[in-house]
Amino acid sequence: MTTADEEFAREVARSSAAFVSQLPRQVQALGDDLVAWLSAPRDAALFDKLSHKLHRLKGAGGTFGCSGISDFASALEQRLNTLRSEATGGSASAMAEFEAAMEALRSEANRIYRESTQDGQGGTHN
Amino acid sequence: MSELTLSRILYVEDDADIREIVRMSLQMVGQFQVATCESCAAALKLVDEFNPELLLLDVMMPDVDGPATLQVLRQRASAENAPAIFITAKVEAGDMQRYRNMGVLDVIVKPFDTMGLPGQIEQIWQRYRSSMNDNGG
Repeated sequence: MTTADEEFAREVARSSAAFVSQLPRQVQALGDDLVAWLSAPRDAALFDKLSHKLHRLKGAGGTFGCSGISDFASALEQRLNTLRSEATGGSASAMAEFEAAMEALRSEANRIYRESTQDGQGGTHN
Repeated sequence: MSELTLSRILYVEDDADIREIVRMSLQMVGQFQVATCESCAAALKLVDEFNPELLLLDVMMPDVDGPATLQVLRQRASAENAPAIFITAKVEAGDMQRYRNMGVLDVIVKPFDTMGLPGQIEQIWQRYRSSMNDNGG
């Protein structure tokens, strides 16, 4: 590994730590937006905002060593699209799956954050 | 005409964290000259001065997405012939063909290995250069 590579690896660790430190807040904000959309499922702008946030979380999660976040965000994105395609509100089963996906994402974010505060930050959180 | 060795990359990405880590990767590991910005509008302000050899564009951006940004940048002489690579967390059926029809060289799927990204881009660039040579370009 060259000096530049080592320096970059340190930057990645720093950026990953910063990402992890913001995770619970990010997921909480996402949850708030989801609640808002569920009360106004015809709001296209709100849906687009939500989709974009989920999409970013999916991409950033893996890039910053949190592949679980990426996977759960991807699952939630699919559930969200299913819910939307079922006209307004969606079926009870679709809603249950959606809520479970949101809870899984929240749990993973909390787990990663907890581990980072216990073990020091950086590295991967898979 | 594009140079044989890739040097200048213009990277458009709305996510500040991803933008910064990719910039560092391309500069520190890949030794490329990199200009970054967060939107199509910002890219338009710096594209002529930077004169990119390669456009690296996030697909899903608010307001103007990657494909639309590419079309806008291609209106400028400085980027008219610059090849492009898209970065996205979602490639759906049919997307690849649509992107290729727009002249996109390849799509890099998020999440990606930031350390390996410069090598991945270099490979795509070399493949592009080889095809240019085969076609007498």
